[in-house]
Amino acid sequence: MKRKQIALFLLFFLTFLARLPFAQSLERNRSFLTSLKPGFGFEYFSRAISWDDKKYTSKLKAVLAYLDAKYEIQEGFSASLLLGYCSSNWNGLVFRKLPFSTDYEAGRKGGILIGAEIRKSLPAIGNFEIEGYAQFVTCLGLKKEWDLESLNTEGKVKGTPYWMRAAIGPIVTYTGFKDFYPYIYPSLNMLWGKYKMEQTVQDLIGKEDKMISGKSVFSLALGSLYEITDQWSVKGEISLLPYKAGLDIGLRAEAFYSF
Amino acid sequence: MKRPPQKKILPVLFIFYIFIFSLGFKKTGPDNGRKEGPFPLDPKIQILNQGQPFQIKSPSYAAHEVLVKFKPFLSEKMINATIAAYRSQKLKRILHLDVYQIQIPEKASVKEMIYALKLNPYVMYAEPNYIAHIEKTPNDTLFKYQYALSNSGQEVGPAGSPRGTSSADIKATAAWEETMGAEETLIAIIDTGADLKHADLQNKIKSSGHDFVNNDDDATDDHGHGTFVAGIAAADTNNNEGIAGVAWNCKILPVKVMGKDGQGYYSWIIDGISWAVANGARVINLSLGGEFDSEALKAAVRYASEKNVVVAAAAGNDGGAVLYPAAYDDYCLAVAATDYNDHWADWSNSGPQVDVAAPGVEVLSTVPTWYFEPKYLPYGFASGTSAATPHVAGLAALIRTIKPWLSAGEIMNIIRFSADDINSSEHPGKDGFIGYGRINMEKALVPIKIKK
Repeated sequence: MKRKQIALFLLFFLTFLARLPFAQSLERNRSFLTSLKPGFGFEYFSRAISWDDKKYTSKLKAVLAYLDAKYEIQEGFSASLLLGYCSSNWNGLVFRKLPFSTDYEAGRKGGILIGAEIRKSLPAIGNFEIEGYAQFVTCLGLKKEWDLESLNTEGKVKGTPYWMRAAIGPIVTYTGFKDFYPYIYPSLNMLWGKYKMEQTVQDLIGKEDKMISGKSVFSLALGSLYEITDQWSVKGEISLLPYKAGLDIGLRAEAFYSF
Repeated sequence: MKRPPQKKILPVLFIFYIFIFSLGFKKTGPDNGRKEGPFPLDPKIQILNQGQPFQIKSPSYAAHEVLVKFKPFLSEKMINATIAAYRSQKLKRILHLDVYQIQIPEKASVKEMIYALKLNPYVMYAEPNYIAHIEKTPNDTLFKYQYALSNSGQEVGPAGSPRGTSSADIKATAAWEETMGAEETLIAIIDTGADLKHADLQNKIKSSGHDFVNNDDDATDDHGHGTFVAGIAAADTNNNEGIAGVAWNCKILPVKVMGKDGQGYYSWIIDGISWAVANGARVINLSLGGEFDSEALKAAVRYASEKNVVVAAAAGNDGGAVLYPAAYDDYCLAVAATDYNDHWADWSNSGPQVDVAAPGVEVLSTVPTWYFEPKYLPYGFASGTSAATPHVAGLAALIRTIKPWLSAGEIMNIIRFSADDINSSEHPGKDGFIGYGRINMEKALVPIKIKK
């Protein structure tokens, strides 16, 4: 049922986007979006994830730091590339398919962050500007090795995680204030990934690919963009991601420079 | 002490949130932001969560209470006001620690309240009032005498018996938190049979088995040894009676290959192994052995191993070399005996084939109801590698239950590598007395924590 609703929402949203003229220009009372905007950003989120056929639940907590290159392809249509560092805490994952079951409590693991964003302006309604916005981010964790110290022989586990996140939805920005643009961003927000764990204890060898998925699929972000100068602008955002038995949170801050 | 990372992010979140909204106030004027001080519970969150607790697993904390520690500079008056602002009630202030036990509103869940409290800059930490529990301990009336499973340094037998050393045991109670086995995992007790009507066994016996001595389908024990062995491996557990078995929920398949004199032909044993494999055994216990090497006996245990059946066999009790079939190293786990102080029993056979050890001195288990006079309970103490071996067989059955995809060889290695090298001061590493060490069920079954 949930999948059907998501599919309908996506279909509606994409159809709505497609029906608009590609180069439609919007009246703007601000100049923060020019042809190229380098920037940097930080993000933190805590997402409930489920694994082993949704039998178990734990939290994935991640901190992201990235450089962002936003390029305006056409008036009202921009694309961004994100590249940076991510640190993810997978504590609570238990690997029971390895010869010796293993409980991951090793805290944060670093990785490489790669992402992309697309933003498309839609018709404004009064002081409310509407944009279609989609983001894809992946955090490719670096391989790390740990000793299994409690055994009477040498044993090791090697872990390689990654997660991906895709979000799509409309951003509704209020443009009635000077230099300050609060916005609301409801979106479909999907998170999934895998933690590959390999174990070697002498000739005992095991491997477990633990598929994870975020329990929340809808996000409501509240944020604001503030133009400090003609060149510099900063953005802050807080996200709430409800799921059946709880609420996840996300936090994001970005700064951009316009040429 | 280093603060957990998630606690560091909350003040940042709070400051960030205030920053964003204060920008709005300065520029725009309308007072639509949050005020300073504790955040009231957002009714929308309650609706979103439908009043359900945030915890996915069954609740393991008090339903309407949380423990809160406030920043030290806060006065008692301020703390009381803060608690009241959350529509909560102070139940108790824990002396010396200044931790407050507070009762939360009926409609709020513990997780919601903790979430709200953590956003408050005056709160150092807030957490559920968790419920602790003792390790899984069966209610069997004689469990207190089973030092092999849980040794607290108690007397190992009736009053006046020696006391054991605390923790000189196989860590059964911790391991039972992970699994207690399953009915599908059959342990074949290839021995003198079993008392099929024993109160602590009758519900655990899969079938009347097979008797290769008398060549019939009734493996009733006419000696007592098999009943004793079966009880250690998988006696009816948590039934308010008698003893606990290592593998609580696994079933026993009795196979009689030894006569009432405690002796049996190799051919009977070979037949018994073959029959047990064919009849669904996943683990075979052989608390028996002979001094003579036999290709046929070796072929039988090899056959079992190839069929992914784990074979545990007794090393022997005469202080000599490891008996057969235990000595068939590739196909059997050869089990030596230790005592209630985690010392090797000096009558336990030794040699390079010994894989592991388990308690085998003054072990309590079931005996046939006819064994003692009626005024005595049908339980008794005995020693030997015969008593040690079913501890290993029980562990193998528990591993098999939760990891059915593992081969017999892999299960044998898990048991080997997770053993405690209790004689490492004299014989570090694998040795001929206790092999890799005394088995440790907790290490073999409970997930090993990997930390930084």
